[in-house]
Amino acid sequence: MLLTRRRALVAAIGVGALGLVGCGQPSPGPGAAPSAGGARAASASPSPDPVEDARVGAPAPSTRVRFVPTSVTLPGGASAPVRPARTVDGELVVPEEVAHVGWWDGSAEAGDPFGSTVIAGHVDSASEGLGFFAHLRTIARGDVVTVRAGRHSARYRVHAVRTVAKQALATSGSALQQDGDHQLVLITCGGGYRADRGGYDSNVVVTARPLGPAR
Amino acid sequence: MTKRWSRPALLGIAAVLSMAGLSAAPSYAAGDAEVYVVQGLPGRTVDVAVDGHTVAKGIKTAAVVGPFDISSGKRTVTFSDDGKVLLRSSFSVKPKSSWDVVVHLPAETKTKPAVTVFRNDLSDVPRGKASLTVAHTAQVPAADIRVDDKVLFADVANGQSLNLVVPVRTYKVAIVPTGKAAPVLLGPVDLTVTGGALNRVYAIGDPEEKTMNVALHVIRTGSSGSDQPDRVDTGTGGQAAGLRQLGSALWR
Repeated sequence: MLLTRRRALVAAIGVGALGLVGCGQPSPGPGAAPSAGGARAASASPSPDPVEDARVGAPAPSTRVRFVPTSVTLPGGASAPVRPARTVDGELVVPEEVAHVGWWDGSAEAGDPFGSTVIAGHVDSASEGLGFFAHLRTIARGDVVTVRAGRHSARYRVHAVRTVAKQALATSGSALQQDGDHQLVLITCGGGYRADRGGYDSNVVVTARPLGPAR
Repeated sequence: MTKRWSRPALLGIAAVLSMAGLSAAPSYAAGDAEVYVVQGLPGRTVDVAVDGHTVAKGIKTAAVVGPFDISSGKRTVTFSDDGKVLLRSSFSVKPKSSWDVVVHLPAETKTKPAVTVFRNDLSDVPRGKASLTVAHTAQVPAADIRVDDKVLFADVANGQSLNLVVPVRTYKVAIVPTGKAAPVLLGPVDLTVTGGALNRVYAIGDPEEKTMNVALHVIRTGSSGSDQPDRVDTGTGGQAAGLRQLGSALWR
């Protein structure tokens, strides 16, 4: 089951059509369960020792659900598709389509025990107007955010909403961390808007903690 | 060749972890599948044959040997000690698959060894992280595996395993009965996981005989995912700035 899911992820990354848009500068973009089966032994050679079927190791029932989110739902029910997003030349390249958001493909999956699951999306774009993450302007501590993929889901409760200077996003705070406790992090642009300086001067960072295990 | 192996478990574990084998990603060169052998029987040295051909001799407790190229189909593995056959087991091998064949003590009887085969999932592992699988092949009932004092692998029975993707660092690992903090059946031991690899940890032995131990098998995989970004630029229009709302988090 795990193997199948991972293959599905590879396929999703392969076909994901990702455009690149920055706050200002456009740039080019990239785009079975273990075979089980104890076989029955048919030992033809005369042997005093019987051949037994080896037991096939199985996952314990407590196996954690983990998944790459394919949708995110905000308080109030607004929902958006989530596409894998890569880092290119230091910039996280989120979907150009502003109704979509991007999951950083180097970040944790929903349900992992460690690390941030990072989802970033446009607050707006010059060509398409308001983006899905403009909804974040009204999110508050205590709100519940749900991510899903197929029949799986994971719920998170918002713990903090911060505005961080853009140049400090990667160096201050734990938004992008991959070795601490698991959390969901939603990122968009905010702060002051200066068209002559390439857009917004800050990132808005929403951190949320898991409400129980992923299902 | 049979000898009792009854050093204090902790000393044994330290030795095992420091000489853990690191296997390269498979090439499936000669055969179309590969198999490793994990020796989980305390107090024995074991010889192994696949389909009647001896592939390794004198394997000590907690050692991992291989890979051995095999062909897909039904394969029979024979374990013997000093010429005496311990058991023969067969299992079905799919093309382009990698397996750990573990000979170990079962949960119940003290006398008869068991064989469990685990398929190695060699999918790419996220950059900077490790795929960690803990398997229970010891003579103890279902157990919790505590990692840094938290139960990360819960209620694992003999012959079962659990997988997690974890950051690369050193963890304190202990095994306790399911739902309990004591008695500690194994550890705590320091486990340093290898990034870009499948790290398989097998709990082996029998706490009553003070032979609890760990066999560690690390197999390289590919890496997935891109680097941590320095910048996330997600606004080019300025329209949202026009929606400025008093008290809104975005423009506070």
